[in-house]
Amino acid sequence: MELNDKLEILADAAKYDASCASSGAPKRGSEGKDGLGATTGMGICHSYTPDGRCVSLLKILLTNFCIYDCQYCINRRTSNVPRARFAVDEVVKLTQDFYLRNYIDGLFLSSGIIQSADYTMEQLVAVARQLREVHQFRGYIHLKTIPDADPLLIQEAGRWADRLSVNIELPTHDSVTRLAPEKSVHTIKLAMGSIRRKLDEKAEEPKAPNFAPAGQSTQMIVGADASDDHTILNTAETLYGSYKLKRVYYSAFSPIPQSPGSVPLAPPPLLREHRLYQADFLLRGYGFTAGELMPQTGNLALDVDPKLAWALANREHFPMDLNRVDASLIPRIPGIGLRNAKRLVELRRLRRIRWEDLSRLRCSLKKLAPFVVTADYKPAQGATSSDLLRKHMADAPQQMNLWPELQAA
Amino acid sequence: MKPGASPAELAAGAVAAVRAGRPLLVRDFTEWRAVARELLGARVAPASVTWGAPGEDLFSGAPASIAAAHNGGDLLSAATQADEQEPINGTTPRPHIPRSLMEMLQTAACYRDHDRWAFLYRVIWRWQQGEHDVQSPADADGQRLNSMVKAVRREVHDMHAYIRFRERPIEAGAPHFVAWFEPAHDVLPQVAEHFVARMGKVSWMIATPDASVLWDGATLHQTGPLMSSAADLIDAGEALWLTYYRSIFNPARLNTQVMNSHIPSRFWKNLPEGALVPSLVSQAGLGARRIGQVEAVGRRSGRTIPIEAEQAQPERQQPSKLDECRRCDLWEHATQAVGGEGPKSAKIMIVGEQPGDQEDLAGQPFVGPAGKLLDRVFEQAGVDRKGVYITNAVKHFKWEPRGKRRLHKTPAQKEIEACHYWLEKEIATRKPKVIVAMGATALKSVLQTGSVTLKDKLGHPVRHGDSWVVTIYHPSYVLRVPDESAKHEAFSVMVKGLKLAQELLDRLDVPEPPSAS
Ligand code: SF4
Repeated sequence: MELNDKLEILADAAKYDASCASSGAPKRGSEGKDGLGATTGMGICHSYTPDGRCVSLLKILLTNFCIYDCQYCINRRTSNVPRARFAVDEVVKLTQDFYLRNYIDGLFLSSGIIQSADYTMEQLVAVARQLREVHQFRGYIHLKTIPDADPLLIQEAGRWADRLSVNIELPTHDSVTRLAPEKSVHTIKLAMGSIRRKLDEKAEEPKAPNFAPAGQSTQMIVGADASDDHTILNTAETLYGSYKLKRVYYSAFSPIPQSPGSVPLAPPPLLREHRLYQADFLLRGYGFTAGELMPQTGNLALDVDPKLAWALANREHFPMDLNRVDASLIPRIPGIGLRNAKRLVELRRLRRIRWEDLSRLRCSLKKLAPFVVTADYKPAQGATSSDLLRKHMADAPQQMNLWPELQAA
Repeated sequence: MKPGASPAELAAGAVAAVRAGRPLLVRDFTEWRAVARELLGARVAPASVTWGAPGEDLFSGAPASIAAAHNGGDLLSAATQADEQEPINGTTPRPHIPRSLMEMLQTAACYRDHDRWAFLYRVIWRWQQGEHDVQSPADADGQRLNSMVKAVRREVHDMHAYIRFRERPIEAGAPHFVAWFEPAHDVLPQVAEHFVARMGKVSWMIATPDASVLWDGATLHQTGPLMSSAADLIDAGEALWLTYYRSIFNPARLNTQVMNSHIPSRFWKNLPEGALVPSLVSQAGLGARRIGQVEAVGRRSGRTIPIEAEQAQPERQQPSKLDECRRCDLWEHATQAVGGEGPKSAKIMIVGEQPGDQEDLAGQPFVGPAGKLLDRVFEQAGVDRKGVYITNAVKHFKWEPRGKRRLHKTPAQKEIEACHYWLEKEIATRKPKVIVAMGATALKSVLQTGSVTLKDKLGHPVRHGDSWVVTIYHPSYVLRVPDESAKHEAFSVMVKGLKLAQELLDRLDVPEPPSAS
């Protein structure tokens, strides 16, 4: 099979994995050196496709042959898709060629399970090893870890890769057992745990050999099972806490050809995915807990973002006086992000904060008006009920009607 | 002012030029900085200065800029050094400009705007007057400064991201890779650095409408414009990229709004994949959105993998009964159950509360900080840890999130009760002569009562079933005690308890003395 055909099949097969970021690697460069590649620590998106997702890495499967039968996956063994397999050399060459033309920041390599977990993992490791050792490639490498593989192989993977990921796939034990019969949450967690232990070791022993300096991440598919956002966020929180993950990626389930009856035929729940990302960001960056954002079972609101929903449900904390309130609480105000919160803290050391400052900082005035007090502004106390505010501030429901023809189906 | 004057010469004549009503011509940030410092020193107000820039072109006649930018980083550091060496003159106070503001000014200086130098001078003047909020985006000038900085950074980022190199045949010689780009601001020198680090010894050139940079594998050269587009360069390698771009796009998620918000339209015409976008969008509109698969893949014939379900199942160790325990909810947020550890013949059983963060990952009891402390207790008491059996009252780690950490949480009575099933089994099979309960949870579990307190039993061994039960503190308690002497005291209570356990055992082990005959 031609390289071009393989690329077509194996990129198509890889696009359901949401993770793509190339950030977090230590700074490296190749000036005056043999080989190729640099990392800036920031990660660069080199293009965007019409689905709005960025292209940062060459994201492909080594092969889409797979002996497993995960119901949500297009490459499951009972799926009737064209199959292909790259040779190790081909992936190495493609990565370098794409890199030289500045299409990508590196490689994100995953694979169907062929023969056994160990065999598959060996192949993935071989690609990374060849890139690093033979070609002195200093760009970004992300390897998908096969959870049942020998821990020694995972260790070696961490030597070459900037980031490792083990996908949890679904938010509950029951769903994994039902939809991914060959996988086991127990071994997935053990694999994540073993990666975290190596990361901890490396942190304590800076001279130890390299180990996945950009940490580990995971992906959860949203909408393939009946789990609600409450469950999903709790699982995410568990994973962040237990395995110190850099990121949990949420991937709205996309209907696949010849879909098995066990998974929905519905359009991907993109707005729900979006809200989960927003909530996740609040967990990671803003110090919210899952329990605060989702005190009850159910799903995140679709009409307002999770921070606004939290503020509306917790009116007793508001309005906050920007000139007095504890600095750590400012980012909890709707319409004020982390960066502007920091700027406001800096500014109020110089002088009193006024309403006009918020407008110059391009805060979302409509959102924050009922929630702040400044030197020259005070919202009308208790004048507006949360319900009314919510109606006023709800996002336009554009996403809801994106696929009317599919909604009807 | 004569052309080609050094920044110092420029600066020296600046005040006189302003007084004479002549415009100040500066070509780059280094020159502006030297001149601005001189003017500030002489307290020349912004309103009285006219700034001009020859052709608004960073490169014309300024060959030093790229070399300086590339040599160990930035113009600023070179300028800062100069600052320390040469006093301007005995009387003028040296302006104290913080580094963060200087960096902003330097970045903003790349913004193509006819009055950039005048604006930057106003900012630095205001700072000097004590108006420090001029740096904040909440100030009107600060807002403009910040948005200039943002636009320049954005342009640098976009150029890092959206430059596309095309490969030239080896026979054509260096440069091996060539790119064309139309930057909106004067960011080429900065961007060149990025590609020097990225491309190693491979030669390349980036051409823009006003200037070009060329890396020959070892040195960076800058020249005037060399090309007017890259349209005539043909690179066969590009076809693979287009295939990749087509295939990685998921038509089920079509969302052109986000795509367009990330890549401004002026870039698309120079991106090879730009030409694909309209057809991909319209195909997605034609129903391909129902599935994620790309059309070309869907058309090929596929195949299933003929393998039996049992054979596909990976070989795993059978999970133990303990691993499968669902007697309470603690299993769900833990990694694994942590059972006891120690020789079959052990006569002493040590019972702790529950595994912690480290134990949960390792699957072994007392390997974390509490385990380390316990090791010291063993050592002091003269008891061999390897000879005893160590376990916990509750087998799964109970915790609550605190940021990205797990904070230990004391198990509830119902969890202790649920998990007693396992402890009871361990006691029944090992039949320890002495059980050392560490802390209240262990004590409650061993004695099977919720009402007992640690205080009652500390230092008072009790009989329970066939064993003695000795109560000591939990090592985590010792770790938590804030004051040193109390910590010491708690530690010695643990040592004493363990010694006592050993003594009890020795006493039990002493064979009955033979009766006198
Ligand atoms: S803590 Fe004990 S009772 Fe609860 S699930 Fe774990 S092993 Fe079972």
